[in-house]
Amino acid sequence: MAFISRSLYSSLKKKYALIVITAIFLLIPAASAQQDVSCYHCHTPVVTEFRNNVHYKIGFTCADCHGGSIETNASVISYNVMSGNFIGRPTRLNVTMVCEKCHIEETKNYKQSIHWEQIEKGHLEAATCTDCHGIHEIRAIKDPKSPSNHQNSPATCAKCHSNTELMSAWYYRFDTYKESFHWKALRNGYNVVATCADCHENHLTKSHKDPASSTFPSNLPMTCGQKDCHPGVKFDAEIAAGLVHDKESLHSGDLLFNKTGMNPQIAAYYLGPFDLAYWIAIFFKILTTSVIGIFAGMVILDFVSRFKMQKRW
Amino acid sequence: MVKQRLIEVSGSQKLAGDNKMGEVFFKRFTFNQLVQHWIMIGSFMLLVVTGMPVKFPDAWWSPVIIGLVGGFEMRTTLHHAAGIGMVILGIYHVTFHLFVDKESLLERKIMPTLTDAKDFWQTIMFYLGKAEQPKYGRYSWKEKFDYWGAFWGMVMMCVTGLVLMFPFIAMNFIPFAYVHLATIIHTDEALLATLFIFIVHWWNVHYSPEVFPMSKAWLTGNLSEEQMKHEHPLEYEEAMRQMQENTANSS
Repeated sequence: MAFISRSLYSSLKKKYALIVITAIFLLIPAASAQQDVSCYHCHTPVVTEFRNNVHYKIGFTCADCHGGSIETNASVISYNVMSGNFIGRPTRLNVTMVCEKCHIEETKNYKQSIHWEQIEKGHLEAATCTDCHGIHEIRAIKDPKSPSNHQNSPATCAKCHSNTELMSAWYYRFDTYKESFHWKALRNGYNVVATCADCHENHLTKSHKDPASSTFPSNLPMTCGQKDCHPGVKFDAEIAAGLVHDKESLHSGDLLFNKTGMNPQIAAYYLGPFDLAYWIAIFFKILTTSVIGIFAGMVILDFVSRFKMQKRW
Repeated sequence: MVKQRLIEVSGSQKLAGDNKMGEVFFKRFTFNQLVQHWIMIGSFMLLVVTGMPVKFPDAWWSPVIIGLVGGFEMRTTLHHAAGIGMVILGIYHVTFHLFVDKESLLERKIMPTLTDAKDFWQTIMFYLGKAEQPKYGRYSWKEKFDYWGAFWGMVMMCVTGLVLMFPFIAMNFIPFAYVHLATIIHTDEALLATLFIFIVHWWNVHYSPEVFPMSKAWLTGNLSEEQMKHEHPLEYEEAMRQMQENTANSS
């Protein structure tokens, strides 16, 4: 008897333990569902991203952008969620309508930009809100991890503006900025220099041919002379036009050595009939190669000759 | 015609009168020149270290070096400080040798001559084992090239460097396009100078078996008699001749 009762007792204890453990595991999703609304059950990675979102931190939920209702009962989650004004995944055309609900000024500016102009024309690959700010992981602009952060702006714009398949026009290429001092300093951690949005505006990005653009030649002196950049400096439009996207990419070597294979239109734009920068770059390439070549050759000859001759000294 | 300066010879014992000769040193550089060279070394190395990360911003070592010197802003400050030092050195050098050191400009021994071209060819032939080593006077063609290379480099670097340091002041006088040219000239000339110093100059004064680990002339300003006979035989003969004349005159 004693044997039986002991085993019964111990199995009972085990049962309690099992019940407690099961309860805990049941409580975890229940608790997290309360925090993350019911979407978490199916859209786990997306909701995990959303937890880094600056909107989540100030109390926004999925429904604030996607519509529908977060009031769920356990049996018919989907029915409630997708009810009413549920919009699901916004398209590239109507994502602005979502952001516009709160960010009125920004959207108004964006709708005047060349990006929106292109989307309206049917080029849906042109940038919308989410391309620069992120989709679910929208961070504050000041956050160093935000793609729209000052120092990340070149990389973010480069997603399209150094993608030759997306943007065939050569003068949009990002590598012209890479030759400027702004980039060279930024690349090494000097964050006060100008990046893309400082000159081209963040939402109000316009073509440099548009007279209202911050990069239209006659507006450039004002753009370069901003309070935190080069205040009190006398610019004329011609000076300012050369500051960042001059003919610099020519001197990164690639174009220089492939001169013959260069698109004639590019060559004409960069080189012109007589381009001093080009010839100076060529001059120094020849000078450096020949001087170092001749003298390093002498050093090698000197070194080798010591093995041939027994007594030099 | 300006009278040639006496070649300075100093020794641990008086040369005249005593047959037993002690160790003799030949004055190669004055203390003035030594200090100029030391300042040049200091500013040049600092400029290379703080400048190259900007010439090659995408290289892996670029952020490493900038971290070592204390951030980009500190890099810029150091580069500007060393640059100003180099500009002052250049101005001092030219001023001193033009106005203070009264010697006829064209008769200086640093001026390149036709002999140097011959010596250049003879040196190649010597390395190939087909000629004798050329006999050099006070300066060999290598030393003359070093000097004039540095001279040209200093002019280019200082002018373009000042333009880059004060671009918006420079733009009051020259168009922006020329400021842009200054960046090309400044960085390309810097690369040339760095390669030349690290490969050629350091071979001549450090790595070459004749002087390894280094020629001490940059510290003492002196050459030993043996070095003198080997490297500057013509000047050595001249020194000996002048010394005999002096001894003859004084006795």
